[in-house]
Amino acid sequence: MKVSPRTARSPSDREKPMNGFFLYFRYIRLQFLSGVQYKGWWMTIPQVFLVVVTDPISTIFMFSRFGSIGEWSMERILLMYSMAVTAFGLAETFCRGFDSFPWKMVQGGEFDRVLLRPRSTVVQVMGSVFHIHRAARVVSGLAAIAWCLWRLQIHMNLLRILFLIYTLAGGMLLYMGVFILTSGIAFFSIKGLDWIYIFTNAGYQVTRCPMPYMPRPLKTMFTFLIPILVVSYYPASVLCGWGEPLWKGALALPAGLMFLCLSLLMWRFGVRHYRSTGS
Amino acid sequence: MSTQKKLPEEAAGKEKAPPLPGGEKTAENFSESLSRKSRTKLPKKKDSSSCGKNRKTWRAYPAIFRIQLLEAIQYRAAGLAGAATSIFWALIEITVYTVFFTYADKASMPGVSNGMSLSQVISYTWLGQFLFLMQPSGINPDIQKKINSGDVGIELCRPMDLHSLWAAQNAARAASPLLWRGVPVILTGLLMPPALRLSGPASPGAFFCFLLGCLGAWFLCFSFSTFMCVIRLNVPWGNGPCYMILLIAMVLGGTYLPLQLWPDFLQPFLLLQPFAGYTDLPMRLYLGTMPLSKAWLGLGLPLFWSLIFLLWGKFLMKRRLKTVVVQGG
Amino acid sequence: MHQIQLEDISKRFTISQRPKGKHSAFKSLFHREKRTVEALKHISFTIEEGELVGYIGPNGAGKSTTVKVMSGILTPEEGNCSILGRTPWKERTAHVANIGVVFGQRSQLWWDVPARDSFELLRDIYGIPRARYTERLRELSKALELAPLLSVPVRQLSLGQRMRCEAAAALLHSPRILFLDEPTIGLDAVSKLALRDFLKEENRKNGVTMILTTHDMDDIDALCTRVMTIGHGRLLYDGTLQELKKTYAPLHRIRATLQSPACLPENPPEGILRWKLEGKICTAVFDSRETPAHRLIAALAELLPLQDIVVEEQSVDEMVASMYQSLDLS
Repeated sequence: MKVSPRTARSPSDREKPMNGFFLYFRYIRLQFLSGVQYKGWWMTIPQVFLVVVTDPISTIFMFSRFGSIGEWSMERILLMYSMAVTAFGLAETFCRGFDSFPWKMVQGGEFDRVLLRPRSTVVQVMGSVFHIHRAARVVSGLAAIAWCLWRLQIHMNLLRILFLIYTLAGGMLLYMGVFILTSGIAFFSIKGLDWIYIFTNAGYQVTRCPMPYMPRPLKTMFTFLIPILVVSYYPASVLCGWGEPLWKGALALPAGLMFLCLSLLMWRFGVRHYRSTGS
Repeated sequence: MSTQKKLPEEAAGKEKAPPLPGGEKTAENFSESLSRKSRTKLPKKKDSSSCGKNRKTWRAYPAIFRIQLLEAIQYRAAGLAGAATSIFWALIEITVYTVFFTYADKASMPGVSNGMSLSQVISYTWLGQFLFLMQPSGINPDIQKKINSGDVGIELCRPMDLHSLWAAQNAARAASPLLWRGVPVILTGLLMPPALRLSGPASPGAFFCFLLGCLGAWFLCFSFSTFMCVIRLNVPWGNGPCYMILLIAMVLGGTYLPLQLWPDFLQPFLLLQPFAGYTDLPMRLYLGTMPLSKAWLGLGLPLFWSLIFLLWGKFLMKRRLKTVVVQGG
Repeated sequence: MHQIQLEDISKRFTISQRPKGKHSAFKSLFHREKRTVEALKHISFTIEEGELVGYIGPNGAGKSTTVKVMSGILTPEEGNCSILGRTPWKERTAHVANIGVVFGQRSQLWWDVPARDSFELLRDIYGIPRARYTERLRELSKALELAPLLSVPVRQLSLGQRMRCEAAAALLHSPRILFLDEPTIGLDAVSKLALRDFLKEENRKNGVTMILTTHDMDDIDALCTRVMTIGHGRLLYDGTLQELKKTYAPLHRIRATLQSPACLPENPPEGILRWKLEGKICTAVFDSRETPAHRLIAALAELLPLQDIVVEEQSVDEMVASMYQSLDLS
């Protein structure tokens, strides 16, 4: 239940446990080995590409029919969109265990085993599933970002590249937070967890709406409640000089981190509930 | 452009695994209890050695449909939560459409929206969310479990036709989210302020055709998902090919973007391909963008494709099961 | 200080259920009933280091719940529990580092990879030093004959083979306490015997305390020095198997084979409750608390031409069934 595995001090005759970060990669290694046991495991990769290609297709069709919206061209919208998608893909790649957690672990009772091991529950769940093909979303997202930046004629110097990485890291933490939050809630009820899609798959769809035209409630919700715009629109604006101040763009990482921390609190609360009800 | 566009495993694991009440039932004994119930509905006579061709067995299929539907509509909380998602989603869609129709550079050019007005697109979005619920986003998990575990062989021992059994199960699955998830979405759409409202049908006749179209969509959805189950019988392929086909079907169904707003050169193909019947054809009838004189086309096409899927599936299954039996011994 | 000490542990669950009666499916659309179930009611016991304890009771009696409380998965509403000086649910990580758990129905091995890979990950999880790990794995593979199994993907192992790997996985980090939840369920006779032997040996050599829930009374007979019975959430019996037998299975049976056919006298010797003769086999039932067996054998030898004689206890299964019945558990 403790987030930091360091607290897992074992009896004196034991080696100091390796830290959670490395343990996570040991888990992933095993998952990867499991995955490639099956013939045809690579067939899932074209599947993901198909998802990635069909995802923005309606946006592209709309632009081709209606043209740009003032200065808001397809490239701009697609840039914001692919920044959000890439962050989402990163979180999904590394945090997949949480994504399927409510169904796989709570309903199936596998979480008992997690509690029986003297390590952080977060690390164990994170490492419980890994699909290499999830990275396809990241790859295509990055490709789309590169294409948009090229079309928008943004010169990418080192500083801008670092800023982009900084933003994506913030977005990744944010989406990891969303997954962990969902799982924390799943301890109480997995009935109707569908609404969580508002934050995940549906969440990054809001970036398709040009900022000046976005209704205020949506803007508020996706800035303050779940800061998707903070990791997409504001950094993109700073990167391309659309007029937002630098400090707003720089909030990407702190915002993501803060969301993750709040989610971890929810997670701990959920674990405590699980142990008092037995689910 | 829809909420539930998901990657394969998500679709398999999440949405379709019915959230079970109180945790007192696991997925396994859930399906077990179903099969137990459905078994009691069967005529118990064992003399029907002509397996499945017994005259009374057809009654089992509606019974299975009813039981599964009754079980599935238990999940009220899940349905309402899902409705909230659909509503939220529709609102985002509508916002984006409104921006394009109002502010886009070419918005005022004639013919740019291919004959669809903004209010029509908004109605399309609301009802599209409703119709979307019937569409298969994955392979029926109960059936898939049976295929993976090899329990299909056990099913074959029952005096029932497996293909019809699957069709009945899929039919229930397609219809089950409509009550708690679909109806609240439509009600919300009707109660929205004018700029976001679901407007009425083009005419009473159009509404009637729309209702028939919904029935056709349901028919198409479960025929196609049954067809997918048959394809899935080919175990070594795994889920991959099915999910790709299912995904393409969903995109071509028109929930993501009305097919009329797709590029012009694709229009003839879009109209005739099997999945227009998912959402697009019923909606054309509702909105009146397809005149009533052409309603026979809008209603006939889904029916035609459903029959193709059913017959083709039945044929493939027959061939497939022969080899299964030979292998399994 | 006791190694395991439970005091007044109570655990409640809330379950929602569908209203009963006709159209229940329809009614439950609008209304669901909630009910509180007391899974454990004031359970108290202590266990010393190195004990082998069998924990029995009918289905749903609270066996698994007790094990889950002791292993830190569940937090009870009331009561204290101290295991190796720690409260399981308060110091989870420190506590579980010292225990091992085997679920007969659930695997802790990674399904698609060879067991060796799982063991290596467990080594990293428990932070076992490499030298210790190698030594321990060699020890366990020898005792459980794992060598040919280690490089086969777990899903391809038979149940018996898999259970051997499970046992090894649970003991890899040399826990001081081992919980076994129906470990022999579904195993064939050979695997069962092998597993029991292994557990006994592990207990003897390393002094591992073992708590075993099971429905297989032969497990208890073969392994346990002490039996606890739970029913309706209460601890109903705690003592040796012998004592339990005396209380609930006092009736013994004499089976005598005769040299030649004979007729039974009208009245049996004093102490025999009932008897019968089928061909050359005579069976007599008596209460072992009141009459010593040797006196009856002598009495029978006078009456009948005995060739061979066997004294049997009631089977443990019969005994447990009669115990559940007399305690109104079934």
